[in-house]
Amino acid sequence: MIAARAGIRLVQHRIAALRRAVVGEVEDTNRLIYHVLRGGVLVSVAVLLFGFILVGAKSAALPDHSVPTRSLIPQLVEFTPAGFLSLGVLVLIATPMVRVLLSLLSFAEDRDRTYVLMTGIVLVNLLISVFLLA
Amino acid sequence: MSPVEVLLLLALAAFFAGLGGSYLGIGGGVFLVPFMTLVLAVDIKRAIATSLIGVIATSSGAASVYVRDHLTNLRLAMFLEVATTIGAITGALVALLVPAVFLYVAFGAVVLYAAATMVRVRETAKERSYRGGAEPALVKRLNLSSVYFDQEDQAVYRYRVDRPGAGFGVSAAAGLFSGLLGVGGGFIKVPAMNILMRVPMKAAVATSNFMIGVTAAASAFIYYSQGLVDPSLAAMVIIGVFTGTNLGTRLLVRAKAANVRFVFAIFLAVLGIAMAVRALGFSGVV
Repeated sequence: MIAARAGIRLVQHRIAALRRAVVGEVEDTNRLIYHVLRGGVLVSVAVLLFGFILVGAKSAALPDHSVPTRSLIPQLVEFTPAGFLSLGVLVLIATPMVRVLLSLLSFAEDRDRTYVLMTGIVLVNLLISVFLLA
Repeated sequence: MSPVEVLLLLALAAFFAGLGGSYLGIGGGVFLVPFMTLVLAVDIKRAIATSLIGVIATSSGAASVYVRDHLTNLRLAMFLEVATTIGAITGALVALLVPAVFLYVAFGAVVLYAAATMVRVRETAKERSYRGGAEPALVKRLNLSSVYFDQEDQAVYRYRVDRPGAGFGVSAAAGLFSGLLGVGGGFIKVPAMNILMRVPMKAAVATSNFMIGVTAAASAFIYYSQGLVDPSLAAMVIIGVFTGTNLGTRLLVRAKAANVRFVFAIFLAVLGIAMAVRALGFSGVV
C-alpha cells in the first residue's frame, strides 16, 4: 500500500517535471503569439465599435461596401463610418500575418534555416494575396 | 427584414459560430455561410467573404489560448501552412470566376462531409501514446514530432508524426476549400492530422485552429480587394464571434464535447441538404 502510494507520488513528480520542461522550453514564443493574436482581435473589435458609434453619431446609413485600401486614409481623416469599419476588418485580416512575421523572426533567432525558409514562403504567399488583385 | 434586424440576427449567429467553433475545433464558416445565404438572403460570394472574416476571428481567439496552453504544434502548423495558403489563394481565385450555383453545390457536399466527420469516436490513452519505430526522413529533418500536456489525463504525451507528404496534400485541399467556400477547413485537417499523421486529437484540433487564421487571411484580402466584404456585416460577425469564442474556450475545459458534437453534426447535415436544395432551385429543378 505504502509502496503503491510512493509509486504514484513518484509518477506525479515525474509528470510535473516533464510539464515544466515542456512549458519552459517553448514559453517565450508561445506567450508572444498569444498576445499578438488576442491583441489583434481586441484592437479590431475596438475600432469596429468606434465605427458603429460614428454611424449613430452622424446618423449615417450603414455602409455596405468596404473602402479600397488606397482611399482608406482620407476616409479615416474625415471620420467616416465606412472608413473605421473597414479599418477594423483590415486589422483582423492583418493579425495572422503579423503572427507569421513574428514566427519568422523567432526561427531566425534560433538560426533554424529550414523553418525560416518555410515561414518565408508562407509570408510571400500572404503578400501575393495582398497585391495580386489590388 | 430591415438592415438592423439582419445585423442583429447575424451577430447572434456569429456568437453561436464562435461558441461552437472554438469548442469543436472548427472555424464556424460551415454554419455562417448557409445562415447568411438561406436566412438573411445575402449573395453567396459576399457571404463567403464575410464568413472568412468570422473564421479569422474564431481562429485568433481560440488559437491564442491553445498556443498559451502548449497544445499547438507550431512547427507542424508552419509546415502545413505552406500548403494551406497556396490552396486558399487558388480557391479564392476560382470562387471569383465560377457561377454561384457551383458554390452552392460544392458547399452542400462539403458541409455533409463535415457532418459525417463530426461523429467521431473518443480517443483512448493508448492511442495517444508514443509508438516505436523509425520516423519518416522528412519528419526527422523538419523535427515535426512533439509533446503536449493533456489536462484531462494529467499526463505528458510524446507523439511521432507520420506521413508528412499525405498530410501536406490534404492540407492544400483544405486550404482550397477554405478560400473557395469561406470555411476554416478544420473538419478536413483535424481527421487528416489525427488519422493520417497520427497526431493526438487535442493537439490536432489546436494545430488546425492555429492554421485556420493564416489560411483564411490568405484569401480574405482577395475578396476584400474585389469589394465583396460588406463592412457592416463583417463587423457584426467579428463582434459576435469574439463574444462566442471567449465563452467557448472557457466551456471547453469541462463540458462533454461528444454530446455537443452529435447535435452539431445533425444540424450541419440539415444545413447541407438545404444548400443542395437551393442549388437545385437555381438550376430550375425544384
